Amino acid sequence: MPSRQEEFERIALPHLQSLLRVARRLTLDSSAAEDLVQETMLLAWRGFRQFERGSNARAWLFRILFNVFYGEGRKAARVARPFASRGDTRPALQEAAEIAEALNALSLEQRSVFLLAAVEGFTCREIAGILDVPIGTVMSRLSRAREELRNILAPLERSKAKEAYT
Amino acid sequence: MTDDELDQHIRENLLAEEIDPSRVEGAVRAQIHSGPRNVPRWAAVAAAVLAMVAAGAFSYHSFLQAKSTPPVCIAAAQDHQREIVDAQPRLWLTDLSAIQSLGEKQGVPASAITALAATGYRLQRARLCFLQKQIYLHLVYSKDANLYSVYLRRRSSDPAFSRSVRSAKAGAEDLAYFQTNSLTAVFVGHTPGASAAQFANASARML
Repeated sequence: MPSRQEEFERIALPHLQSLLRVARRLTLDSSAAEDLVQETMLLAWRGFRQFERGSNARAWLFRILFNVFYGEGRKAARVARPFASRGDTRPALQEAAEIAEALNALSLEQRSVFLLAAVEGFTCREIAGILDVPIGTVMSRLSRAREELRNILAPLERSKAKEAYT
Repeated sequence: MTDDELDQHIRENLLAEEIDPSRVEGAVRAQIHSGPRNVPRWAAVAAAVLAMVAAGAFSYHSFLQAKSTPPVCIAAAQDHQREIVDAQPRLWLTDLSAIQSLGEKQGVPASAITALAATGYRLQRARLCFLQKQIYLHLVYSKDANLYSVYLRRRSSDPAFSRSVRSAKAGAEDLAYFQTNSLTAVFVGHTPGASAAQFANASARML
């Protein structure tokens, strides 16, 4: 029979990458993101006895992550540190930088919902549970986030298309 | 662009980002394997009761001592106890240039970090931490066999801090704190006789 530690490792550790990805977009700082995920995992481990086996471990971990993030005033930790520079001439990196900047321009609430829905593939109901907000709020934040992203990214796409023709 | 196209465009881009979870994974594994295992329930309950009694007595004593100490200094002492004395596994930066770069982002000039080292204390490692919901650069310096924590941030408006070095005790921790025109600094030491105030006084002259 696996030990409690082994079971926790099997259930929780496969989600580290997803948690780090979202944490980086929340904190905008790689080391703060690692710290946030480490604290998330420590809390998850402490509460592992209460975790219902067979339930959604990923949603459970994200819920803890957001509780830690909001609970410790981490909004203040938003340090502008783009992961790729806009000045980079390589097209893939330039695009990554544009997307990063567009995401950073969203409010923290909109960014959280968008990342959980579009990138991590959670349903609106699951996101409502993770963020502890009504499902209607999730839907409206998601809709506003997409609108905002379109407004930011569309002119960039248009100028790229124009450059391609000239 | 439809919702699905937009989501896919951004998703593909973010999923292509390189994320290396190995450092966090190592720290998490160390944490979960470091705790006590298979402790009988009665022993855990007895230990908890004893700990509560001891904590109550200790808190009352600390309260009497620390009621005039700024809350951020109490938080620093607790952080030092957890991170340095208890040596909780954490991710630390040890490279000086990486530490200076981290400090610069928090408004702590690189020159301040080297100035502290010039007082005869040796920089060991650093990380960011939260004290009273504010980000501080937590630097760990050593001298002889003693470790000291120095918490630095851009100068705050806390009236409890002044240019002159003030000292206090918080439990077993020895505290000293001051501020310059640009920085707020809290020094914490744990070893009896190894004074954080001494380090703070030497640093106040250099900063």
